[in-house]
Amino acid sequence: MLGLGADLLWADMNRLLAFLFHQGVLDEQFLQLQQLQDETSPNFVSEVVNIYFHESEKLLRNLRGLLMEKEFSDYKKMGIHLNQLMGSSSSIGAKRVTNVCLAFRAATDHSNRSGCLRALEMLEHEYCYLKNKLHELFQIEQQRALAAGVRYPVQNN
Amino acid sequence: MAEDRYETCSEGSACSQMGSNNKCKHVFDRLCGFAPSWNWNTTTTTTLPPPPSGRRIFHRDVEKEAFQYASSSHCLSSYYSVFVVRLAIMVMLAILIGLLTILTWHFTKIYTTKSLKTLAYDLRYELLQRPILRMWNILNSTAEITTAQVKLSQYVIRRYSNPVNQAEQVELYEAMRAITWALFSSKKALNSITINYKNGFVQAFHRDLKDNNTSYIYSDLSNYSMVANEMNSFSAHQAWNDKAIHGNKSAIWYREPLDPVTGDKIGKAMKIAPEDLINIAGLSQVPDGVASWHVAVSKFTDSPLLSAALPVWDSSNKSIMAVVGVTTALYSVGQLMKELVEMHSGHMYLTSQEGYLLATSTNAPLLTNSTKHPTLKMAVDCENEVIKLGAEWLQRAYGNHSPPSHEVHVENAKLGHQQYYIDSFFLNLKRLPLVGVIIIPRKYIMGQVDERAFKTLVILISASLCILVIGCVCILILTNGVSKEMKLRAALISQLEARRKAEASSNYKSQFLANMSHELRTPMAAVIGLLDILISDDCLTNEQYSTVTQIRKCSTALLRLLNNILDLSKVESGKLVLEDAEFDLGRELEGLVDMFSVQCINHNVETVLDLSDEMPKVVRGDSARVVQIFTNLINNSIKFTPSGHIILRGWCEYPNSCNGSPIFPLEQKKSRCIQKAREKQNANNEKRTTKRDNKVILWFEVDDTGCGIDPSKWDSVFESFEQADPSTTRLHGGTGLGLCIVRNLVNKMGGDIKVVKKEGQGTLMRLCLVLSTPTDVTEQHYALDFTDNSLVVLLALHGNMSRLITSKWLQKNGVCTIEASEWNGLTQVLRELFHARSPVHNNNNFDAHYPVTEGLKSKLLSIQDMKKPVFVIVVDIGLLDLSTDIWKEQLNFLHRYFGRARFVWMLNHDTSNNIKMEIRRKGNVLMVNKPLYKAKMVHILEAVIKERNLELQKRNNMIGPRTTTKEGELHEFLEIDSTHFDAGSSDDSDTSETVGSNPVSVDGDKQIELVARSPASSTYKINNCLVGLTNEHLEDTNNARKEESCQSSPSSSKHAIEESDPKSLSTKEPSQGGDSECGETHRAAGPNNNVVNGKNSLEGLRILLAEDTPVLQRVATIMLEKMGASVVAVGDGQQAVDALHCKLGVDDCRRDSLQKERNMRSQTEILTSPYDLILMDCQMPKMDGYEATKAIRKSEVGTGLHIPIVALTAHAMSCDEAKCLEVGMDAYLTKPIDFKQMVSTILSLTKRKTS
Repeated sequence: MLGLGADLLWADMNRLLAFLFHQGVLDEQFLQLQQLQDETSPNFVSEVVNIYFHESEKLLRNLRGLLMEKEFSDYKKMGIHLNQLMGSSSSIGAKRVTNVCLAFRAATDHSNRSGCLRALEMLEHEYCYLKNKLHELFQIEQQRALAAGVRYPVQNN
Repeated sequence: MAEDRYETCSEGSACSQMGSNNKCKHVFDRLCGFAPSWNWNTTTTTTLPPPPSGRRIFHRDVEKEAFQYASSSHCLSSYYSVFVVRLAIMVMLAILIGLLTILTWHFTKIYTTKSLKTLAYDLRYELLQRPILRMWNILNSTAEITTAQVKLSQYVIRRYSNPVNQAEQVELYEAMRAITWALFSSKKALNSITINYKNGFVQAFHRDLKDNNTSYIYSDLSNYSMVANEMNSFSAHQAWNDKAIHGNKSAIWYREPLDPVTGDKIGKAMKIAPEDLINIAGLSQVPDGVASWHVAVSKFTDSPLLSAALPVWDSSNKSIMAVVGVTTALYSVGQLMKELVEMHSGHMYLTSQEGYLLATSTNAPLLTNSTKHPTLKMAVDCENEVIKLGAEWLQRAYGNHSPPSHEVHVENAKLGHQQYYIDSFFLNLKRLPLVGVIIIPRKYIMGQVDERAFKTLVILISASLCILVIGCVCILILTNGVSKEMKLRAALISQLEARRKAEASSNYKSQFLANMSHELRTPMAAVIGLLDILISDDCLTNEQYSTVTQIRKCSTALLRLLNNILDLSKVESGKLVLEDAEFDLGRELEGLVDMFSVQCINHNVETVLDLSDEMPKVVRGDSARVVQIFTNLINNSIKFTPSGHIILRGWCEYPNSCNGSPIFPLEQKKSRCIQKAREKQNANNEKRTTKRDNKVILWFEVDDTGCGIDPSKWDSVFESFEQADPSTTRLHGGTGLGLCIVRNLVNKMGGDIKVVKKEGQGTLMRLCLVLSTPTDVTEQHYALDFTDNSLVVLLALHGNMSRLITSKWLQKNGVCTIEASEWNGLTQVLRELFHARSPVHNNNNFDAHYPVTEGLKSKLLSIQDMKKPVFVIVVDIGLLDLSTDIWKEQLNFLHRYFGRARFVWMLNHDTSNNIKMEIRRKGNVLMVNKPLYKAKMVHILEAVIKERNLELQKRNNMIGPRTTTKEGELHEFLEIDSTHFDAGSSDDSDTSETVGSNPVSVDGDKQIELVARSPASSTYKINNCLVGLTNEHLEDTNNARKEESCQSSPSSSKHAIEESDPKSLSTKEPSQGGDSECGETHRAAGPNNNVVNGKNSLEGLRILLAEDTPVLQRVATIMLEKMGASVVAVGDGQQAVDALHCKLGVDDCRRDSLQKERNMRSQTEILTSPYDLILMDCQMPKMDGYEATKAIRKSEVGTGLHIPIVALTAHAMSCDEAKCLEVGMDAYLTKPIDFKQMVSTILSLTKRKTS
């Protein structure tokens, strides 16, 4: 019973992952991240992603603050923030966020404020979407881990 | 030219300054004509003078742009402008020449005229002076004669004063006559001398100058009595005078001709009327008793006469006794004038002050012939035209008020039709002032000068006209040439521009392609990844599974195409950077041939690898690219070769070896010169490597028996999207990119590729690559010597080429070979071979017909000479008849020879499992997959030799059967094959370097295809394995690892390391395989092995990670730690530099995590360099990666240390690599960190360091 549940969860997870891949939210970098997770660091992916969320929220806040300033002249700083965000996003394989970041950075390069605002909104949207989906994924993963934990000795033949 | 430029410049500036539109437009239109020269000028001169204003530059730019649009209307206006320029130059020339002419003429003329004028003035003055002097002389002489006469008369009269009688009176007169004659005759020029006495008596001598007659005229003496009275009163004078006049009328005069010389009478005296002949000066002429002058005329001469009169006083000086008159003809003056005028030219005349003509230089009469009395003429009435006109002119000019001195000098008086000089002089004589006028035609003095001047002018003008014409023609020609040249230049410039544009657009295209394919590749990777996930899903039906596999295949094909395009554009845009790592060339090529042989099976084509023995085993270069080159070439060959063979030949050439020295800069330079296509980056690599490496030129030939390429297309096939035959796209597919990529890559590696003429059918591509071989690899070649082992190899192979090549090679290496191409041949050879030894073999009867060839016989003989030969029989499984069950019989037949010979089975990839089982059951353990190449042969022979040695040993020890060892061998050799498969993982198409010490690269995608194609028995399992790093596998691995780690973690890891070393695998002793029973599973777990390898490949490395993003920091740390490395992470560049510098601090912080490693390592090593490698993010707060690297490199100077620094950048497609390398980093990773790439990079760096 439990083993079956684990399989189902596994399939669910795969489906969700496939969906995210299909939508371009994630890319193969996320798979690599998952490969890095093993018994020595069992919650590595969620850990990293949590760091990512924490960091990104800070960066997004900063970005919004910079962009909302009356005389927003600090495009350079925004560029640095975006670079950071881009680097971390690409590292966890959040592809769409990375792409939006790219667009955002192009906008900052041209000092295009309306473009920046648009990009920021898109970025926030993408970010929320990613966050929700990844949370969902981790929930399934947790459940699966629980289920797998039950199944584990059985497979040991 | 200079003018031209000047004009354009001035106009350009004018254009910029002018505000009004139409003017601007006009100038611009004109400028259009100068466009070519303009462009040219600007290009040549812009560097020299700084442009005066920015506005002008702007204008220029605008114009330049406009030129391109106005190029159609350009032509006409350019002609117009050229015309204008020519005109301007010609006008300038004309003005110049004209000025020169005029000046020359002017100067020559003026000077001569001036000097001539002064001369002429002198001449005129002189001319006039002379007649006047003559006149003066005449006057003087006349005056002298008169005075003399008077003096003599006075004397005589005083003697005879108061004559008493008639006789005395006569005596007086006689005396007077004698005196007078004496005087008269002494002066020939005198016209007459007259004496008029008081009493009215007249005595006169007259000389007619015309006929030279002299006559004496006297009055009748009888008429005059002695009148001695009333002589004292003045009134008496008057009376006398009157009386004389009246009396004279009544008086009778006689004229007596005289001899002109002696004065004797020569004729009879004739009566004449008084005053008929001559003027007798009377008292009236000396009214006041002094001498008087006047000009008189006479009837008999046509010239005026000058007469002077003087009174003769008595002794008391109270009364006038007589009057003496002397007349002189002025004829001689006229004569002189004539003479003068004859000599020179012109006209002269003398007039009295009143204007009466006295003398002229002409023969015109001076007197009017009126009826009663001749009178003097006025000058204006002169018959001579010139004199008349001159006189009139003077009168007109000066009127009656002649200038005070009467001196007039006029140079250009126009008289009639000619110009004359008119000069007049005034001679002021008392009572007779004279005016002399000379009229000289200007022609006489200035005629020559004027003529000359005119001639010179004409000559000058004509000469200058000639020069002008010639100059104009020259200018025309010159400007024609210049404008032509300009046009050509303009055309050239526009061509260049067009070319540059075309190149730029092609570059953009490449860039676009690169970007696009990069963007396309990512979704493709996602698709493939998703498919992998799908495939690994359990709940798929078989149909679904096959469909998904098909989709995956297609996706990989698409990805490959994208990769091709990306490669091409990368190369074209110069972004491709060749890796420089050591790799086993032979192994790569063998893998390649293995792979393609599978593909060839369906085509009935054999793939042969023929590498020469001196080929270096290990070379440095970009293995992936090398493999790609051959993949493309062989792919092509397979595509066009329906049957026959494809041979990949290789040999090498050491450019340095001929000199005997490993490093020859000159030689290398030369070779570098030849390789022009080499990129800078590559050259840098080369430079870096040549310090250690030897260059080697590797030659390869890909020879096929396909349809061949038309010789005319030999060059063009290497162009992109070019195929030898347009129909091939239809028949064989493909894009025509393959060969282009190959050529680009080959060029990049410093080589060259071309199609070479080949005998027979097919294509022969020859290429050379310049690669370096590491010198530290001492043993480069196969150390082969099988001669001692007395091996006999029977090659029973289907493919002719491979058999031939293998046997040749074997023979070269001292192995005796026998060849057989089919079953019957094989049986015959076997019979012949084992004839003596096996008498039981004759149940095979269908091969009796085969005659034994001579060659074979001699070989057999030589084999029989060998002592204890070892037979190796290589049997192609294709020789067996697999379609029916005969193969079992055949196997049985061969089995008879088992024991006497070693059988090596060449298996096809699709050889079914039961055949394999059957063969194995028969005890044949040496099975290799087709194709057979050198390395495999070497393995086989080595195995055989070892086995024999072992056997000998065992025979000596008398221990145990052989079968168990054979079992080990079987798996051993199977695993030799499998290592090729395992090496590449599924989604790794770029990196060539795998984790082991022996890098093997096989294109992963192809590998999958290959496996997917082979319908082997254990497909599912193998597929799963090879499909790559899916989650399920990860799970499995994890599980497996967990299991192992539960048991004994250190031993398992060690075990993994051992297994990961393919070299140890391949050279392992056959008996060593302890877990040979589970070989199948091992094979299946190949990829996992790989992961395991990766996990520990960085064992013991100390890595400093400088990364500010926490996520990346975490990910990278985990990644590295998973592979066994110890990681210290810092947040920015400053910390990184600090961490590197304070070793103690670093050691402290590492202490807890690095216990084991530190134990393993020697303390000194830690002290020399605290980290093995630094991963450096480029953009960090405080101090970025570039700065940090610079600081580190700076601090390293002098210490001899060089910590490898790997850059991490977030820019996926940026060109930061150059910058990274410039600041001293060693490698470069883009930010979604690719696991394998990172590992390989780190390994290559640390390995290089340790080696």
